[in-house]
Amino acid sequence: MISMVNAITELENAAFQITKLRLKFPGEDTLLFKDLSFSVQKGEKVLLLGPSGCGKSTLLQVASGIVPNSFELPMKAETLQLPESWGFVFQDPDTQFCMPFVDEELAFVLENLNVPREKMSSLIAASLERVGLHLEEIHVPILELSQGMKQRLALASVLLMEPEVLFLDEPSALLDPEGTEQIWSSIQAAAAEQTVVIVEHKIEQIANWIDRVVLFTDDGKILADGPPHTIFSNYKDELIQYGIWYPGVWEDYLTSDDYQALACNRSSTSTFEVLHAEDFCGYRGKSPVIQVESASIAQGSWVTILGENGSGKSSLLLSLMQLLKTTGSLTVNGQPIVQKKRRKTLPAGLSLVFQNPELQFVTNSITEELTVSLQSVQAVKAEQHAVEMIELFNLPTSGNRHPYQLSIGQKRRLSVATALTSSTDILLLDEPTFGQDARNTFLMLEKLESLRKAGMTIVMVTHDLEIASHFATEQWTVAGGRLVSCIQLGGMTDARLVYA
Amino acid sequence: MPAWFTPDRETWLYRVNPALKFAIFVSLLLITLFTRNLPFVSWLAVLFGLLLYGFSGYPIRKLALLSIPLVISFASTAGTMILFGKGDAVLWQWGPLKISEESIQHGLLLGTKSLTFGFVGFTFLLTVQPVLFFYAMMQQFRLPSKYAYSFIASIRLLPVVVEEIQVRTNALKVRGITFSRGMKGWGERIQAYTVPLFAQSIRRAQRIAIAMEAKQYQMGAARTYFYPTSYSRMDAVFIGVIAAGVAGVILLVVGMK
Repeated sequence: MISMVNAITELENAAFQITKLRLKFPGEDTLLFKDLSFSVQKGEKVLLLGPSGCGKSTLLQVASGIVPNSFELPMKAETLQLPESWGFVFQDPDTQFCMPFVDEELAFVLENLNVPREKMSSLIAASLERVGLHLEEIHVPILELSQGMKQRLALASVLLMEPEVLFLDEPSALLDPEGTEQIWSSIQAAAAEQTVVIVEHKIEQIANWIDRVVLFTDDGKILADGPPHTIFSNYKDELIQYGIWYPGVWEDYLTSDDYQALACNRSSTSTFEVLHAEDFCGYRGKSPVIQVESASIAQGSWVTILGENGSGKSSLLLSLMQLLKTTGSLTVNGQPIVQKKRRKTLPAGLSLVFQNPELQFVTNSITEELTVSLQSVQAVKAEQHAVEMIELFNLPTSGNRHPYQLSIGQKRRLSVATALTSSTDILLLDEPTFGQDARNTFLMLEKLESLRKAGMTIVMVTHDLEIASHFATEQWTVAGGRLVSCIQLGGMTDARLVYA
Repeated sequence: MPAWFTPDRETWLYRVNPALKFAIFVSLLLITLFTRNLPFVSWLAVLFGLLLYGFSGYPIRKLALLSIPLVISFASTAGTMILFGKGDAVLWQWGPLKISEESIQHGLLLGTKSLTFGFVGFTFLLTVQPVLFFYAMMQQFRLPSKYAYSFIASIRLLPVVVEEIQVRTNALKVRGITFSRGMKGWGERIQAYTVPLFAQSIRRAQRIAIAMEAKQYQMGAARTYFYPTSYSRMDAVFIGVIAAGVAGVILLVVGMK
């Protein structure tokens, strides 16, 4: 009897409830969820954790009704009691808006709700205030906002619907540390009353805010469900295995055997200067976007380039690669680089890996992708090179898969592998670990370190101070379109001291 | 680029209801398309040229720059027709080239038509804000909102696609991909660009569609409008000016005969 009363009050207090959910992706043999039951109480702040592909995001979409209303998947459930009103913030800041301007986007939501025109302006201003987005002028193009501001705008637009339940699907995965800080503080301030269900790998900012953690296995079952501190201490192995950025993940990694093995004999840079720039300047159109007074890189260095968004970090890489118009002197491997009017060839020895791997793939299989730029080499040797690369970068051994069919982490590793030909000895990378889970990040960093040990020079743009301090041998800072400092790190010195 | 398309001053053409402006310009284009009277089309071209240069609010320098393709298309369509067109009253012949009175007539007609199309098109595009245009289409012409918002969303994405094309170009250079010469090379190029760009675009479009529905957008549901558009006195002025202009052109043509 008591249990039944409990069950009834639980039902009344539930923000939503799903029992015995079965769901399957078309074309796949196994069910993503087999009889999964999941419910959330009103006002609860719940975090869903698990390996990528375990179905956390799909569960959010089922709980909101996006699946199957907007996106159809074969599914059935015994009970499916969904929230009456909900808001959803998605991962990608660039694919959440349909209008070009900030005020128009917020008005779009109000139009959907049939709010009269006269009431719109005050509601728009109030919602921006609520998420702490202070703009001098609200009729501003969304394209001009930083990624962190875009996510706060997305939050503001869903709050206009006064949702009971807020679903957040990795809202900070594609943000830099500053943006991550902004969006989570906005969420905590604005959604104190709401029920909040979060899927996220980067959880440092919210670990103290949430009431409950649900840990999933990779076959879509619930492994553990409880208060955060219990889960974080009892399931550490799973958290590491699933690549969660749990609080203290860097400390654990730095004491791990993997890192210790890397860390010994690190300061092995030679004195040979592989790259030297003097009065070097890169232009987009006619305006200079990056200026370097004087900088040089020794062979076997690992240079990290830090700096705020839009400060010119990526432009620096593009300029070194001679993809922008440049002036001044640049020497690569002792050879002065002369920029021709109609440039056809890029500096030998340099290679650049862009952020989006898919835009770099040029063929239909992993093996072809790895051999396509080796036309001058014998077929057998090229084949050999591909096999080595597949092994080095933990890619699927068959080599016949289409690059687009790989997981996100595999795509990133393949894009790095494609940049490594026999002639590459300086590797430029634009945020190669951005948006990756902890496991893929460490895996990538370990691969790069092994390349560096073999004599490769690495120049990498990143936002992550931990990477800069634990892997780099040299730290460059770019601000306002200028390279402002180059600091040698004696191998393992703590860069945060330099920064503070 | 959008800054380039900001006019110096917003003329009376900007205050005309965009949907009405669209309807009238389309009907003018249809009239031009089906006319075979050279003087009539020429005077129309002059009329719309005056409208574009006098009342679009853009500096002459920019308008002249935009007119370059129009002049080229005039010259090429008219030139081809004049040199190769059929005709009996031959004036000059050399090999396959044959200029006749009829071919000159046809050539000038075609060229002037393309010039008129260009002037009308630019006058519309330069004096309309896309978002307002679609709001007016929804409110005055009952365009279903799903089409209007899809167009608006896709306009918003254009700069993103342009940026992606640049990244792809750079990535292909870094990967050392070279294309064959001639037509074959163009085929390779199209393939190298379309596959990744389409993959990105389709994914983005699907995500935006889901995000729109998550913001409680419902097809066919009643809605309010952030930008109310309506007919105003300026629309009467606009219709009056166009009617007077076309009437004037007709009078001129009839008077010449």
